Amino acid sequence: MPPPDSELARWFAEEVQPHEPALRAWLRARFPTIGDTDDLVQEAYARLLRVRGTGSVACARAFLFITARNLALNQLRHLRYESPGDLTENAASGVLDEGAAIPESVARAEDLQLLIHAIQSLPERCRQVLTLRKIYGFTQKETAARLGIAEHTVEAQGAIGLRKCIEYFRRHGYQPRP
Amino acid sequence: MNPLPQKSDPIEAATVWAVRHDRGLTAAEQDEFSQWLAADPGHRAAWAEARWGWDELDRLAGLQTSVHAPADPDLLLPRRRRWLAPVYRFALPALAAAAVLALGFVIFFARPAAKPADPLTAPRQLALIEQRTLPDGSTVELNRGAVIAEEFSDGLRRVRLLRGEAHFQVVRDPARPFVVEAAGVAVRAVGTAFNVRLETTAVEVLVTEGRVRVDDAVRGESLLAAAPAGEPPVLVAGQSARVDLAPTAVPQVAAISAAELEQRLAWMPRLLDFTNAPMPEIVAAFNRGNPVQLTLGDALLADMRLSATFRSDNVEGFVRLMESEFGLRAEWRGDEIVLRQAR
Repeated sequence: MPPPDSELARWFAEEVQPHEPALRAWLRARFPTIGDTDDLVQEAYARLLRVRGTGSVACARAFLFITARNLALNQLRHLRYESPGDLTENAASGVLDEGAAIPESVARAEDLQLLIHAIQSLPERCRQVLTLRKIYGFTQKETAARLGIAEHTVEAQGAIGLRKCIEYFRRHGYQPRP
Repeated sequence: MNPLPQKSDPIEAATVWAVRHDRGLTAAEQDEFSQWLAADPGHRAAWAEARWGWDELDRLAGLQTSVHAPADPDLLLPRRRRWLAPVYRFALPALAAAAVLALGFVIFFARPAAKPADPLTAPRQLALIEQRTLPDGSTVELNRGAVIAEEFSDGLRRVRLLRGEAHFQVVRDPARPFVVEAAGVAVRAVGTAFNVRLETTAVEVLVTEGRVRVDDAVRGESLLAAAPAGEPPVLVAGQSARVDLAPTAVPQVAAISAAELEQRLAWMPRLLDFTNAPMPEIVAAFNRGNPVQLTLGDALLADMRLSATFRSDNVEGFVRLMESEFGLRAEWRGDEIVLRQAR
């Protein structure tokens, strides 16, 4: 049987799967109450593949860790099992400590540039909120603490920022791709 | 939570909901959200667009000048164009595509109350079987842990099964073959339904409707033995093929009985509809298709009767409902959940 030859399969094997042991170890340490990390890891893979299949991803590792972290947080919230303070610490620390900075060639990808310009076009607060939330992967709570503003302000600014980004996407013909 | 203002462009409300969803909805918000979504046909499209936009921004995750630099809220401040050299004119093709949002709905006759879970019974969440509609209208059910990637073009609908097991219900389109590739095995269909499972050392194909070809993905040659009359070899409904990934192995084709077929596809979720059904019957129905097994730890529970509708893979939802509405206590022991009366 020949090996699967697709570029995507190669990318998955070379640039994604090597992060799995670190991701699992980090999830286990960070979220000890979630017994089984399989579902988190696989759902994060699925999301990464969907996104990669339709465009660029700045950093597979960061995407994977932040996505898995968000899924884990959702799960804990969903289960109403949150212990106070548990989720307020810098949950993103350790996520991005390894690996090189994003190569310029990646950052110049057209779709990433459009997303960057969309955020750059925002009013200051919206831009800061979306930068911390999306590029650094901070939660709403963490973002509020960083910016020294209330959580509901972060939420409101995030929603306004998202709406303006979508309007920017519409103006530039940036749409979901099959 | 403040009530949402009624705006003419639903994208405004939709973006508020997208951000709220990200941080997790309260039970009251969940209700409010469901009502908003149902209130106007345009709301669903706006919601899909808002969710898509929110997720698109995740492409930028990890984008920074130095991995050791502290988080900088002003990283993208336009004057700091360190490496973000502008400027492209964007001429992205205006391809319309429906953002298919997998919104799973669970139907409860009784809604679980917002009651904190007992930390001692710390449940883990079970992934649901994911149902996805592809851009051509074909549907896929992904077994727990399965990962697929779609690569659709004008002449070909290709889906790669990267891990796990999935069942495909394919919309007929002779001009655009539908091919599932798993570890170099290509399963080709025109209009049919079949199941593909990628194992460590083999790919297994099971046809539930119509017929498929099973080919070498690279060379395009069939992996099945040729049929007598020179017909291209196919696998038909009720047959399975097991392709060993060892280079010299010959695929094993076998007929599958109806009972076996049902058993092999037991992972696919069904809607379980109970009317005044005894608990042992309900538990047995869940246990048939799920790796996690429910057991009744109290003899008294055998007399309990219940009317409810669940997806067969939503064991966790069932257990939570039992805890919140029916005063039961769930004890999670690995792959077993024991239900008892709380006391």
